[in-house]
Amino acid sequence: MAVSSGAIHHDVEDHIHPEPEGFIRKYIFSIDHKVIAFQYFITGMVFFAIAGLLAELIRAQLLKPEGAIMSNAAYNGVYSMHGTAMVWMVIIPLVTGALGNFIMPLQIGARDVAFPWLNMLSFWIFPVAGAILFASFLVGAPDAGWTEYPPISLQGPPGTTLWCVAIFLIGISSTLTGLNFMVTVAKMRAPGMTWTRMPLFTWATFATALINMVATVALSGALLALFLERVFGVPFYDPARGGSPILWQHMFWFYSHPAVYIMILPAFGVISEVLPVFARKPIFGYRLIAFSSMAIAILGFAVWAHHMFTSGMAPWLQLPFMIMTMLIGIPTGVKIFSWLATVWGGRLHFSTAMLYAMGFLVTFTFGGITGVFLAAVPADLHEHGTYFVVAHFHYVVGGGAVMGFLAAVFFWFPKATGRLLDERMGKLGFWLFFIGLNGTFFPMHFLGLFGMPRRYATYVEFAKIFPMAQFWNIFESIMSLGMVAATGLLIFNVIYSLKWGKPSGINPWGARTLEWTISSPPPYYNFKKIPTVLGLPYNFDQPLPYRNLDNEQDAIPVPMTLAPPRTAVGV
Amino acid sequence: MSAALIERGLAFIGALVVGVTTTVQLKNDWNSTGIDNAVTKLLLGLMAFGCVLVLLAVFGVLGG
Amino acid sequence: MAATTVAQPGHDSADDVRARYENVDHAYHEQRENRLLGFLLFLVSDVILFSMFIFAYCYLRNSVPNWPPIVEGGRQLPRFDVNFAAFNSVVLFGSGATMHFAMESWKHQNRQGFFRWLIATIVLGIGFLGGQAYEYGSLAISWAGSTMGATFFTLTGMHGFHVFIGVIFLCVLGLQARSGVYTESKYFGLTAGTLYWHFVDVIWVALFFLFYLW
Repeated sequence: MAVSSGAIHHDVEDHIHPEPEGFIRKYIFSIDHKVIAFQYFITGMVFFAIAGLLAELIRAQLLKPEGAIMSNAAYNGVYSMHGTAMVWMVIIPLVTGALGNFIMPLQIGARDVAFPWLNMLSFWIFPVAGAILFASFLVGAPDAGWTEYPPISLQGPPGTTLWCVAIFLIGISSTLTGLNFMVTVAKMRAPGMTWTRMPLFTWATFATALINMVATVALSGALLALFLERVFGVPFYDPARGGSPILWQHMFWFYSHPAVYIMILPAFGVISEVLPVFARKPIFGYRLIAFSSMAIAILGFAVWAHHMFTSGMAPWLQLPFMIMTMLIGIPTGVKIFSWLATVWGGRLHFSTAMLYAMGFLVTFTFGGITGVFLAAVPADLHEHGTYFVVAHFHYVVGGGAVMGFLAAVFFWFPKATGRLLDERMGKLGFWLFFIGLNGTFFPMHFLGLFGMPRRYATYVEFAKIFPMAQFWNIFESIMSLGMVAATGLLIFNVIYSLKWGKPSGINPWGARTLEWTISSPPPYYNFKKIPTVLGLPYNFDQPLPYRNLDNEQDAIPVPMTLAPPRTAVGV
Repeated sequence: MSAALIERGLAFIGALVVGVTTTVQLKNDWNSTGIDNAVTKLLLGLMAFGCVLVLLAVFGVLGG
Repeated sequence: MAATTVAQPGHDSADDVRARYENVDHAYHEQRENRLLGFLLFLVSDVILFSMFIFAYCYLRNSVPNWPPIVEGGRQLPRFDVNFAAFNSVVLFGSGATMHFAMESWKHQNRQGFFRWLIATIVLGIGFLGGQAYEYGSLAISWAGSTMGATFFTLTGMHGFHVFIGVIFLCVLGLQARSGVYTESKYFGLTAGTLYWHFVDVIWVALFFLFYLW
């Protein structure tokens, strides 16, 4: 190989390995990041359906103040598993494993991630961990919430031990994925793609991978200790034997707070990609958004004890954590304002992806604001353990991470499959989801403020001081069916469009990041020639900032004044 | 000669040998480049520090 | 001496090294960079795992007025024996030095030296584990009997497990080196093994201080 003087020049078919053969190597034990992403998507959606069913059981139970369908013990298992499954078996795998895996290598002009075999291992741990988690229903589901505080978790049914094992396993998967993505982004970008020419979804994936890799191990430690205490009686958390329940809370939340940033940062990345395309305007504040992702990732490690204001921990800790928690609202606010500035004055085109992105701006901001309420210690002392908290996190996770994920599905499905999702079904699904989400979770704010406690199977006492309690719970349960319908519609849409969706072509949206310069679906090797990157992809009035593209003639730049072709978006 | 004294004596000699060797190696490799060499230098330094701790323990400065 | 891709101390700039890498094998160099970063990140995550349990130890120790703690019956548990631990620590640190010499031998194409020092490392590593087993047997406290036992046995047990895996790792590397997997310029596995072994050493520095000297 000749000595090169600077830029690395990759020849045609440089480093392309032979195509995998056989059904098993192509679709089951595949090392192709695109196939793995699809596997994460299917598995995650299956677990989403199960966890959603558990949610509907919760809503059914709360139709009556005295509890409508199950015992207290059963209810404890249901909400514990709902939360556990949603956090670890649905949201995190979907946004990192499905979205990160599919989009990021394409956006940086790579042929795959840094360690494809590790990627496959990371995936296959996922369904196994999920199976172990749901198997706990057979032996007595964990019943102390997804947070499993000791001493209750020490006394819990056998399913709690399975819970430890399942989450430990998925933690290994997460850590390895984080490591994989960090090395991929750091080392495998196309020539010319400096850090400040990276697309914003890739920035988000990198920040998420950093948290994934560093924080998840902390949870593994906490889980290992809980497992050892339950199985071998090794005292870490039992106060009767010298242990400390607050120790668990510190160890658990040191991971679980950054975990919420794992859930939301990729969604932020999606919004940063979708808004410019459908506003036909460059993203406002590229560096602000890129660096605020890193700031959130790092600051996110400094706020965990805001989950512990009422725990009895040392009171002098309350003030610093309150301040840090409020500070982290700043980079988040920077993003929101940048996004608003992006769409301001743009020629908006409301495809389904854009609807989800705009909806995100509403619901996530709302959830973010209630987060600042909770950050204030005096307010939190009142709101902790009430439905106010439940409202807050469902707005940021459901109205933030899920809506961002759905926007991504509608945006990148054409790239992954070569077909467009049906826009009419998509838009109907959006409104069902949006109205359903707001209808279900908005009333929880005032129910919580007036004192309805969370994690209780009944609310007879609360109904005595708040006469409309049952009305609003019934209202919420009915509205939640909107989200159920939306999910069903989405699954139908995906299956239908795989077979009968309109062919999308290379670039149905007129977007400018590298994945839109190769065919839909991409060949297994992604890029025949690794392109050279000359600048940011967000300036719609410039030619595409790439050299050496595979499909020069097809990936034409779309001038700023043109709206995307009508045929691409249907109605 | 109690067991404790033998252990201390061996620890003392070992810590000296290993500590000096490690420090010499660190000095020799000081100018190497690359992240693997940087991490190696850091870890060698910490190992030498470990030998210092052993010496402090042997002389009863630290430890019960 | 044939041109090597290792920086000669005091002689080479980073550019010289990079130029020699380009000559040697561009694809290998790229892959090695990826694997090195990946391995270092893995070590970072392992440090965090140990840090969590060290935090737990410090927290639990700080939450009682007496350490060693007083258990049922009013008796205070005994402190750990520094002398034997100091000796065992030197065994482990020594194995770190021998591993370093093994790598130096390899880089200077001294295969015999490499194997001698590698075997010395493995022997010292096994010796350390033997010492740990001996100490575990001689201790009056139990794993589940107190937070002192809980933290000590869990942390040193995790560390011992890492040493055990490291010994196996080194044996595998030795067998691979014997069958010619590594050359004078391509020996990433050996680099990884050495880094891992030094990491295990340094974790022990922390544990030695925390349990025996504090």
